[in-house]
Amino acid sequence: MFVVDVLKEELDNSLQMKENYERSLAEIPKGSLVRREIKGHGYYYLVYREAGAVKSIYKGKVSEAELAKYGVFKEKRSRCRKHLSEVNKQIRFIRKVLRAKDAA
Amino acid sequence: MQKTQRELYLEVLQKLKQEGVLEDIVLIGSWCGQLYREYFKDDKYVPVIRTRDVDFLVPIPVKIKRQVDLQQILSDLGFNIVFKGRDGYISFEHPDLIIEFLVPERGRDSDKPYAIPKLGINAQPLRHLDLLSEKTVKISFGGVEVVAPHPANFALQKLLISGRRTKVEKAEKDRALAFEILKALIEAGDGASVTACYRRLPKKWQKNILAVVEQSEWAEMLSGLLAVE
Repeated sequence: MFVVDVLKEELDNSLQMKENYERSLAEIPKGSLVRREIKGHGYYYLVYREAGAVKSIYKGKVSEAELAKYGVFKEKRSRCRKHLSEVNKQIRFIRKVLRAKDAA
Repeated sequence: MQKTQRELYLEVLQKLKQEGVLEDIVLIGSWCGQLYREYFKDDKYVPVIRTRDVDFLVPIPVKIKRQVDLQQILSDLGFNIVFKGRDGYISFEHPDLIIEFLVPERGRDSDKPYAIPKLGINAQPLRHLDLLSEKTVKISFGGVEVVAPHPANFALQKLLISGRRTKVEKAEKDRALAFEILKALIEAGDGASVTACYRRLPKKWQKNILAVVEQSEWAEMLSGLLAVE
């Protein structure tokens, strides 16, 4: 059936996309740069989560370029996570429809 | 608020127009159905269901004059850049749309992507795409003029490639799309464009198209149109 074939094609697309988003997320360097004030001076720490615990690595003074780079990583990570969640919803939806069609 | 698929698609078209790219590329694939709905607006043409894949054909030689950073533009619109195939042609992925750029494949079969430095991308070469840019029409969609293959070219190309498909369901989809468009052309009184396009094709292609038509329920309706002089 025509519609079912299109749904199957879209399921394949979504599964491939899920894999691509997961790969992209894994490629983005972990963590965000956080500024802390110590004795009136600003220092940066790279903060990230590992095995459920929050870790922070001292980076000291950081250039504008590095700050911007981490800003881009943060934005890209947030977008990838949002899109991955949408793709997961699509996969669940299409599988549900295809199962319902098989049961009918 | 989250954009709808249509809003995102329109945003892509507007951006490509703004960068001076849209007039030199041809929209192909199932998204043409939306344009043909406009083209046949008085003849109640109902497009066949489409997927998320939006394909653009870049005719060779490339006419695009300006240097455009397509990767940056589409990335700014929320697309993820993915490299596909052995040598990596570019695909722009978003949960709602997948955009790919194609070029006509000439000469020997090859998996190698075709570099388009003006756009900063690698395109996928595929057979029989020249037919889609041989005769085109401009159709307005959401206020943006998009270049699409003439419906006769589109339909005959779909019939031609349906015979080369390895997946039965894809071949069926191609044929369904083609026959609906041919029917709309006949109802619009433009069967002559089908005949003219068919006569311009190489003999081998004509034979392949005829073989597909003869096996279909549309054989009688189309036999008169697909006759050579």
